[in-house]
Amino acid sequence: MNIAISDLALIVPELILTGTALVLLLAAGRIQAPSPIAAVTVLAALAAGVVSYWPLPDGPVTGFEKMIAVDDYSRFFKVLIASALAVATLLSVSRTDAERVRPAEYHALLLLASTGMMFAAGALDLLTLYLSLELTTLCSYILVGITVEKPASNEAAIKYFLTGSFASALLLYGIALTYGVTGGKTDFERIAQALSESSSGSHPILLVAISLLGAGLAFKVAAVPFHAWAPDAYQGASAPVAAFLAAASKAAGLAALGRVTLIAFESEAGILSVVLSGLAALSMVVGSLIALSQTDLKRLLAYSSIAHAGYALLGFIAGEAGATMTYAFLYVFMTLGAFGVVIALGERGETLDGYQGLAAQRPRAAALMLLFLLSLTGIPPTAGFAAKFVVILSVIRAGNVPLAVLAVVCSVISAFVYLRVAVLMYMQEPAEPEPSPWPKAVSAAVAVAALVTVIGGIFPGSLTSWAVAPDPALSIIGAR
Amino acid sequence: MNEYIGIAASFLLAGVITGAMVILASTLGKKNPSTVKSEPFECGKDPFSLPGGKLAIKFYLTAILFVLFDVELVFLYPWAVIYRELGVVGLVEMGIFLGILMVGYVYAWGSGALKWQ
Repeated sequence: MNIAISDLALIVPELILTGTALVLLLAAGRIQAPSPIAAVTVLAALAAGVVSYWPLPDGPVTGFEKMIAVDDYSRFFKVLIASALAVATLLSVSRTDAERVRPAEYHALLLLASTGMMFAAGALDLLTLYLSLELTTLCSYILVGITVEKPASNEAAIKYFLTGSFASALLLYGIALTYGVTGGKTDFERIAQALSESSSGSHPILLVAISLLGAGLAFKVAAVPFHAWAPDAYQGASAPVAAFLAAASKAAGLAALGRVTLIAFESEAGILSVVLSGLAALSMVVGSLIALSQTDLKRLLAYSSIAHAGYALLGFIAGEAGATMTYAFLYVFMTLGAFGVVIALGERGETLDGYQGLAAQRPRAAALMLLFLLSLTGIPPTAGFAAKFVVILSVIRAGNVPLAVLAVVCSVISAFVYLRVAVLMYMQEPAEPEPSPWPKAVSAAVAVAALVTVIGGIFPGSLTSWAVAPDPALSIIGAR
Repeated sequence: MNEYIGIAASFLLAGVITGAMVILASTLGKKNPSTVKSEPFECGKDPFSLPGGKLAIKFYLTAILFVLFDVELVFLYPWAVIYRELGVVGLVEMGIFLGILMVGYVYAWGSGALKWQ
């Protein structure tokens, strides 16, 4: 055992977020105004993002006895999570006041959930991974139920908690079985080593372990058939919380899934590709089809996020982590943007009928919503097109043409879902009075999302060219 | 055999301390028995009744706070065992851990979770 204090330098972004959360909790009794707390949270998120982006002077390294890694893969996801946190915080400024949420606790939970996500992106050991995901989900349960006065919110939190605990248990069983099969290994590199050396590749228990790990992680990214919590949780939760879950939580789940499938179980790529293909195909089909019948915008976006989890998984199936990372990056901003418009329109934005004639009343809001909807559909020149192009190309290159065809077909189905909203906005008479003007913070957040959606579409690759797969040899290079 | 002496000693010590507390409380303490106090479990709920109706949340809150701060001991034990090997680094890290827990305690105190009313 020798843990050096210098290892703390590797987790500076996480320390910034945790420290801010603790300060907010200590000051919870004294500060009641949401604006200064939101400002502090955004600053902390930006600081964490900038520090994460900064490459370490001596390349990728591991720390804490090879428990966490700071490499390009984790840096990419940490920057993404930090920016999602900043945008989601801006989106919630007007809501925390209106829904009488205690601002300090709310933001502390957002910060702690993001800390867990960042650790998940850098985790090199199944136990670190489990702990970081637990930190994230425990905070998420409370965030979903934080509007205590709304019964729907309480119900959503209970549903999310019950299914979530079950998924955590599955993940833990998977870890325990992996530990048993590999002869007492939990860190990714040694699991990969043990699996490639022994003939345990065909071990039936290993199959069970992989399925359980897959199920637990699929729950985090809300892939079918582990998606049932998402629509209820998003609908019951306050809209900014739903946006944060749809964006950051999904990115963190993908980050965790990527390192587990591509590093730890690399030798089992055959089984994994079958499992992931099933999850991806089901997610795309079920997400797109059920979204057709939704009239609640948050539920619609929840099913959309389920379908997008399916598309994002295509990159991992093809073995190209970069494709999934690009998808995750662009998806996070377009979904935050769509939720941003929903939040800005208030009560009216949460039902489909509220969008009738929006273009006549608020042309700019309608145009922004159209941009995000086109992007979610995957129509050029938006970021959604670039993202879908990359993942579909990756499965074609891997020779899995049926899956690519399915992805395209599902995109066409989902076009109907998204463009229905557009039709309501542009081709119907207004049915409701004009919405009130947007709060400044929400405008800023939506503007950022719109900017990324446009730039990511016109200059594909400009924002995500640094998306690289996790390095399997990292632990050897980074031995310090 | 020698290693069992330590275990026996700690059992004895635990027995003496808890026994002394129970005996002292029952001999020296004031007694004002009431119906509620004489129930087998003082947990805010009638021990023999069908579920339903309202439950005093303060018992639950106290219990959950107790569990929260009790679990920290689980982490202190292994640290105490390898205290010498971890040295200053271990001490600092335990300090950080307890510091974070204290923030939670201060927060619970500040938000009135410890008030009994």
